Amino acid sequence: MIDVIAVGYDHSADAAVAARFALRLAGATGARVVFLHAAGLRERFEHAEHEAGPPAALVGLIAESGLPAARVDWRVEDGDACTVLQRAALDPVNADVVVVGTRGQGAHAGLLLGSTSLEMAEHSSVPLIIVPAPRDDG
Amino acid sequence: MTLVANRPLDDRRHADPGHPERPDRLAAAWAGVADLHLGEDLVSLDVAPATRAQLTRVHDAAYLEELGVFCYEGGGNLDQDTYATYDSFALAQLAAGAGLGVVEELARRGEGVGFVAVRPPGHHALRDRAMGFCLLNNVAIVAADLVARGARVLVVDWDVHHGNGTQEMFWNEPDVLYVSTHQSPLFPGSGHPREVGGPGARGRTLNVPVPPGATGDVLRAALDEVAAPVVDDFAPDWVLVSAGFDAHRADPIADLALSAGDFADLATTVAGFAPSPGRLAVFLEGGYDLDAVRASVAAALGALVDAAPATEGPTSGGPGSAHVAHALAERRAAIESPGSEEVRW
Repeated sequence: MIDVIAVGYDHSADAAVAARFALRLAGATGARVVFLHAAGLRERFEHAEHEAGPPAALVGLIAESGLPAARVDWRVEDGDACTVLQRAALDPVNADVVVVGTRGQGAHAGLLLGSTSLEMAEHSSVPLIIVPAPRDDG
Repeated sequence: MTLVANRPLDDRRHADPGHPERPDRLAAAWAGVADLHLGEDLVSLDVAPATRAQLTRVHDAAYLEELGVFCYEGGGNLDQDTYATYDSFALAQLAAGAGLGVVEELARRGEGVGFVAVRPPGHHALRDRAMGFCLLNNVAIVAADLVARGARVLVVDWDVHHGNGTQEMFWNEPDVLYVSTHQSPLFPGSGHPREVGGPGARGRTLNVPVPPGATGDVLRAALDEVAAPVVDDFAPDWVLVSAGFDAHRADPIADLALSAGDFADLATTVAGFAPSPGRLAVFLEGGYDLDAVRASVAAALGALVDAAPATEGPTSGGPGSAHVAHALAERRAAIESPGSEEVRW
């Protein structure tokens, strides 16, 4: 039984792919979706103003999915992505499953060791879904 | 008293326009040292880069290799917070080497206080990952080097952010006691009082998170009431300080309310943990308001070497006393009930 799906969202293209998948999964299972954004050090310095609600790109994805607004939450948590997503299994999110993209903001081909998805694969206490980005064969 | 410091590093090419972790921070720290007018009591050391053997005591060889290649290829963003340039890996190796050199000189002299004025900072850097502006964990590299020589090392981390990297590296190391005061909630999200160390080192990690607005009296209480008895039992041979100055009330990326005078008090308390002269070294970590860094460095080091008094008095009256008591209770519960502790990383 899946009641709550937590999704890591860092504004990257890979996060959008994960968001689409999670919204489809929620549509199929009746689950709620909680989007989690980990606010890092630099973000505080730059006074990003997105805490009141999801960014426009995500609002578009949610609308596209047809999922009722009451079944979608947006939370901004202080911390690094892996810590924030690990906590999703606990109160108040109580996620049954965590969904992430393969790579997030700032990631690049070389430093695979640094990816949130691999960290989560090692440490997550609930089932983890890593959604691959579409292949770019061009 | 003598202040033993590294010679200033040429850090100008580890920079990213608009990024808060910038060369001006180090210039501000050095200005704080200059404000003490130490004359011949300031000993400046030439710095050699840390060796691969010294770095791999705490960092995975594969990570070092990847970071080196990343920089060699021109660098870029490692995560949403952390950048590296072509020169960053070489500078980080020098920063780590500065700590090793300062501690070696203190050991040779048997007196004085060390100041490792370097960037990039280190305490968020994990065994296999850069994080939170940090590439190599400077204080951990020195602590591990001392442990390899048979020493017991206390690391006190008063940066406003929890030093998750240092905690991770020594989670199971009985010869290192890691003590952190930090704002919570705040990046990186770790540092709960129930994080007390792994099976091989239960009780060797000590976290006291405090709420936004906390003043200096709260951190003093954390060190006096929670940390001091544990430090006494541990009996360190060396004391290393992860000295961020971002708990200052003027800092733009955190919300504590300390003054420069509070850092003088914290430094005095921590100096009391050292077993003898010449066994205390202070490492620059965070701090992003330049005037606050300058005044706080001068205050903290001034207190340690009996130089100029702080330009700002200590603070009190902010929230957090209950958090200190709560941290002590949570810690005791975690230690007394194996399996109930929180584990990070």
